[in-house]
Amino acid sequence: MIAQLRSELLKQRTTRTNVLLLLWMVGLVVLVVLLHVLSFSVEDLSRSDNQLMIVGLGTSIGALFASLLGAMSITGEIRHGTIRPTFLATPRRGRVVVAKVAASALAGLAVGLIAEALTAGVQAAGLGARGIHIELGSGDYVQLLAGGALAAALFAAIGVGVGAVVRNQVAAVVGLCVWLLFLEPLLLGDVHAAAKFAPGASAGAIAGAIQTQIADDLVAPALGVLLLAAYAVLASAVGSIATTRRDVN
Amino acid sequence: MPEASNDRAAVDQPLTDADLPRPLSRPVLSARNLTKRYGDVVAVEALTFALERGTITGFLGPNGAGKTTTLRLLLGLAQPTAGEALIFGRRYQELENPMHRVGAVLESGDFDPGRSGRNHLRALALAAGIAFERVEELLALVELETAADRRVRTYSLGMRQRLGLASALLGDPELLLLDEPANGLDPAGVHWLRGFLRQFAESGRTVLVSSHVLAEVAQTVDTVVIINRGRLAATLGLDELDDGARSLEDLYLELTAREGA
Repeated sequence: MIAQLRSELLKQRTTRTNVLLLLWMVGLVVLVVLLHVLSFSVEDLSRSDNQLMIVGLGTSIGALFASLLGAMSITGEIRHGTIRPTFLATPRRGRVVVAKVAASALAGLAVGLIAEALTAGVQAAGLGARGIHIELGSGDYVQLLAGGALAAALFAAIGVGVGAVVRNQVAAVVGLCVWLLFLEPLLLGDVHAAAKFAPGASAGAIAGAIQTQIADDLVAPALGVLLLAAYAVLASAVGSIATTRRDVN
Repeated sequence: MPEASNDRAAVDQPLTDADLPRPLSRPVLSARNLTKRYGDVVAVEALTFALERGTITGFLGPNGAGKTTTLRLLLGLAQPTAGEALIFGRRYQELENPMHRVGAVLESGDFDPGRSGRNHLRALALAAGIAFERVEELLALVELETAADRRVRTYSLGMRQRLGLASALLGDPELLLLDEPANGLDPAGVHWLRGFLRQFAESGRTVLVSSHVLAEVAQTVDTVVIINRGRLAATLGLDELDDGARSLEDLYLELTAREGA
């Protein structure tokens, strides 16, 4: 198991896709946070709930990119055919999936931390430039960084499961983006009661970041961790079973 | 080991269990009644053959005959619809350290174009518990040392073939399965590969090499397994043929044209 994990960590470090993914994420965070910080009124930006909402964007972006990184750790191998030598070295495919989940979760932890730290940094710089006082305390920042990293790690595991089931790289990437960027926000707007248990909302709850649609309606952080962990375990298990049962082309 | 006593040309009937060679030890590799269907499409049908230790066997057939599917079944990448594919008497998935027993190169190489050749080998070495020194040995063997840190995207087809061979040899296996290994190699590369495989077999190890370059096969292999439309068309020792490449070509064309007519 350790052997497979070390192999997967090396693959994570040596694929160009992950570097590009990270660059895209950095660009997106800077753009989105600056748009918010520069376009809102000074009055709005001075309110702590709005400040929290803006840093919460980092949670969503970090979770999204971590899930893409997880999904690509398996769809990329399928796309390039490296899944064949991978399975020749480790024919017990469940082990490969578990190693990918673990390696992606570790990478996701870093992705989440980078996204949150960058969001907080850009926001602080933007607010400072406009002479607005930061209302967030150190407790808020600790939960943002730790929670955002944990949520991204769990989302990376979900991504591996989705990638293992879907197998096609474009379909997996588009599917994850559509869910996190469109479907879940739509659900949040329409069916509050159920939507707060969805993966993206759970990530927001863990990081303590307030999302605009359901400001008062997030679950408690601990419940968010449990929910997201349950989604991660479920996705990994389904992905592992699908990978073990199906032929490799 | 006595050879050729059990070799035969079986044109219409697939070999049954009783027809298989029965050496003292288990065959290195055996397919018994191996069948793979995708829906209504039959890729491999009731295929039975075995490899003897220390031989090089050519695996021949037209495109779409089922060669690649058979290799995938042997390597546990796909599950047979019926029958069994065994390596050292076990299914591939049941081998303890598979890379130390079997090395395989499938098609034109399975690489991440953005990863360097060295890192490709290292990722496999880590998974199989193989030291990085072995990676360096193999980079030297296949003469990729100077290109080792370049991305595979920049490699020629011949370099990819050599990198694939290096991956297969990482665990110092007893059995090599190669799918069209001469594709993209220049004449010097082909010559080197032939010498390498010869030496490999002479040390008591075994090779199955799929190809459709008959002249190349005739110079390299001891026996051939010919399949057509997923079925066994013939297994025979090259020494049963009168005159190397010429008559292998005649036999091949006769066998593979038969059902296509």
